[in-house]
Amino acid sequence: MLLRLIGAVLSCCGLLAGLPAVLAAEVTRFPAPGGEQSVIAIHAATDLAAMKPLIQDFQALIPTVSIEYNEYVTNDLFAAAQKACAAGESPMDIVLSSSVDQLVALVNQGCALSFRSPQTAQTPSWAKWRDEIFGFTIEPAVIVFNRTLVPPEDIPRTRGELLDLLRAKPDRYDGKIGSYDITESGIGYLFASYDARTSSTYGRLLEAFGRAHAVVHCCTSDVLADLAAGRIALGYNLLGSYAYGALRAGAPIGIVIPRDYNLVLSRAVLIPAGRHRPVGALRFVDYLLSERGQRVGREASFFFGAETPLPPEVDGPMTLSMGGTFNPITIGPELLVVQDRARRARFLEEWRRSMRGADGQ
Amino acid sequence: MIARGQSLFRRLSLIIATVLLLGAIILTTAAWYYARVAADDAYDRLLVGAALQIADAISVQDGKIGVEPPVSAFETLALARNDRIFYQVRDPSGAVLTGNDDLRSTATPSSLSQGPVVADGRYRQIPVRMVTVRRLVPEPAAQGWATVTVAQTREARSALAEDLTAKASLLVLAMCGLALIAMMIAVRQALAPLRVIDRALRSREPKDLTPLDVEVPREIFVLVTSINHFMERLSRRIGLMNRFIGDAAHQIRTPLTALIAQVDLLSTETNPTRQERQLARVQERATELARLTNQLLSHAMVIHRAEIDQFEPVDLVGLARRTLSEAVPLSLGRPVEISFEAKVEQVLIEGDVVSLREALANIIHNALKHGARSRLTVRVSADAERASVEVIDDGPGIPVANWNRVREPFQSGDPAGTGSGLGLSIAVDVVRAHEGELRFREHSGEGFAVVLTFRRLDAGSHASPPFLQEP
Repeated sequence: MLLRLIGAVLSCCGLLAGLPAVLAAEVTRFPAPGGEQSVIAIHAATDLAAMKPLIQDFQALIPTVSIEYNEYVTNDLFAAAQKACAAGESPMDIVLSSSVDQLVALVNQGCALSFRSPQTAQTPSWAKWRDEIFGFTIEPAVIVFNRTLVPPEDIPRTRGELLDLLRAKPDRYDGKIGSYDITESGIGYLFASYDARTSSTYGRLLEAFGRAHAVVHCCTSDVLADLAAGRIALGYNLLGSYAYGALRAGAPIGIVIPRDYNLVLSRAVLIPAGRHRPVGALRFVDYLLSERGQRVGREASFFFGAETPLPPEVDGPMTLSMGGTFNPITIGPELLVVQDRARRARFLEEWRRSMRGADGQ
Repeated sequence: MIARGQSLFRRLSLIIATVLLLGAIILTTAAWYYARVAADDAYDRLLVGAALQIADAISVQDGKIGVEPPVSAFETLALARNDRIFYQVRDPSGAVLTGNDDLRSTATPSSLSQGPVVADGRYRQIPVRMVTVRRLVPEPAAQGWATVTVAQTREARSALAEDLTAKASLLVLAMCGLALIAMMIAVRQALAPLRVIDRALRSREPKDLTPLDVEVPREIFVLVTSINHFMERLSRRIGLMNRFIGDAAHQIRTPLTALIAQVDLLSTETNPTRQERQLARVQERATELARLTNQLLSHAMVIHRAEIDQFEPVDLVGLARRTLSEAVPLSLGRPVEISFEAKVEQVLIEGDVVSLREALANIIHNALKHGARSRLTVRVSADAERASVEVIDDGPGIPVANWNRVREPFQSGDPAGTGSGLGLSIAVDVVRAHEGELRFREHSGEGFAVVLTFRRLDAGSHASPPFLQEP
């Protein structure tokens, strides 16, 4: 505890001094309701609000565990985890991120602990790799629109329809399209690279976005805030879970599951290697993968499941896996290509050029 | 006493099981080795394929070398689902374009010119399989070879190799099991005839000495033949004994009854003269009985010795001379001229000294008792093949009609039956055991002769026994 406090103080000092090596994490403590016997340090690139119900339910099951929740942006978490892995002694009990490609890179570097349990055995094979990394959510990439700004006849249900809309009404949607800044957002980059792999419409879509002076943000929540406020009309490739959360919170938005193909991300979790007897961490991962954890996560934070019916008011097929458009991002060595730096540099270059090209016009 | 040795079945089982076990170990090792090679071969193709795909993605744009590793390369590698992947692309100057900076390829430029180089290696202490390929970068500005190295951990290979080895081992084990079972059946089958023989012997009457009649394989046939041969000998011998005992009992009972009658008469006789005559008769009967008993015993001995196969070289001349001097009693009651003639100095036959002496002595006794009036001659002669002893007397001889009869035991040449005729039959038995011949010769110039003929030991061979060469 003391060490960790000192670490926190040091990191504060580091921040004040403006040292770039120090990675910002926002720490929240969930003290054990039944008297603390152990602590689990979760290092996550996920909104605390999404994880809070799960953490509290876990503590209801095991009341003697305190949880320390360290929230990062994805790239910072990746850097911190890599550093800890290289040092050999990780202060992290659990690493949790939506940027699964980064977690896969960590696994490939040998930074994760392998473990098996009845719960991990139930996880579908596409959502785990080497028994070291486990996907525990189902989160579709969705198109979100502002209900007051987009008339029902304009609502695009495929990427082709979106292209047609932008071509048909360029003035109406100029500056009104929002998406990720993929140079900053790990998840945006991941979705974009899968788009590029999956369909030839990606290039044209990118061009169209450039022409329409698309607004890009680092994070889903920023795009959603713009949508709710009416600053933009359409958001592309946003995380369905966050979008539905905003919808439930009363934002005047609508959600469409694309019908041509539907990218699905599974937020993943791993236990860093080198932790001595990470019993708490194993229990927490088991909990996330258990039926109860899955249900709580689905009801409170992530809302979607592969087989469960879509949440109400979402425009899409009966269930995500129905209709043959279910296209999950496989957690496996294939994801390493997303992390390739030469490829990434080229991809970002292309993206920038497309976006900037529009500006130049 | 039979020594109960180790079980043949267990010994055979042990030997074959050991051989099978050794074979299984060797085969499993070989299977493991080939499985490893096969697994490496299979996954090396994927590795090389992926490296070539990455190499193919090296391009020059605006005079700058770049690479965009294709997704398909990673998907190819991901076929080894659980293996970690490390890779590296270097431009002709050696600068790392992308991938893991600290991955070191062991391939040399000269080996690379032969094609992709696949080798075992290590990356950060992890054992990996590594392939390096090269690609000519065509632009004149940066002409040279770019290299692509792709490494993969060995989990899928090991899993495949283990799987193949396990399956092969299972087959080997199954085969060994079958072989073991077959071997056990074979050994039991092979030993089965022995049980047949055992059952046949067990179920016999104790007196049954007829040859075994069981169907046995060739390999066991020798054993059955030996048993049958042995039983035949036993049977013959028991037959001889039975006959002898029967005859002997009969022969002794008659003179004994007579003797007892004489003694009874003696005890009631009061007349001294008749008493004296009676006593002489008792004496005569007792002597007769003693002689008969001796003859019976010597006959038994001869029968017994005839079964002995171990003959030794015997000098017939010496034997005849000694026997004659021993056989002639000190007083005969009548003057008889005894002579010994030897036509050779020494002649060797193969035989048993004791029974030969007994046979000869019996013939001489017979001649003295029933024949010789005034003369008895024993003559030893030899030709190239044979040696013979003749016992010649000037008595009446045995009538030709009785020649065959006197060869049988207890048949006296004297119809009056004063003595048992054992003497000649003993001689006949002995001569037969020596594979010789006993003949009678009718009155020639010198008288009646009994001729014993034997085969010479050194007959027909020029190599003489060593002791003959002594001066």
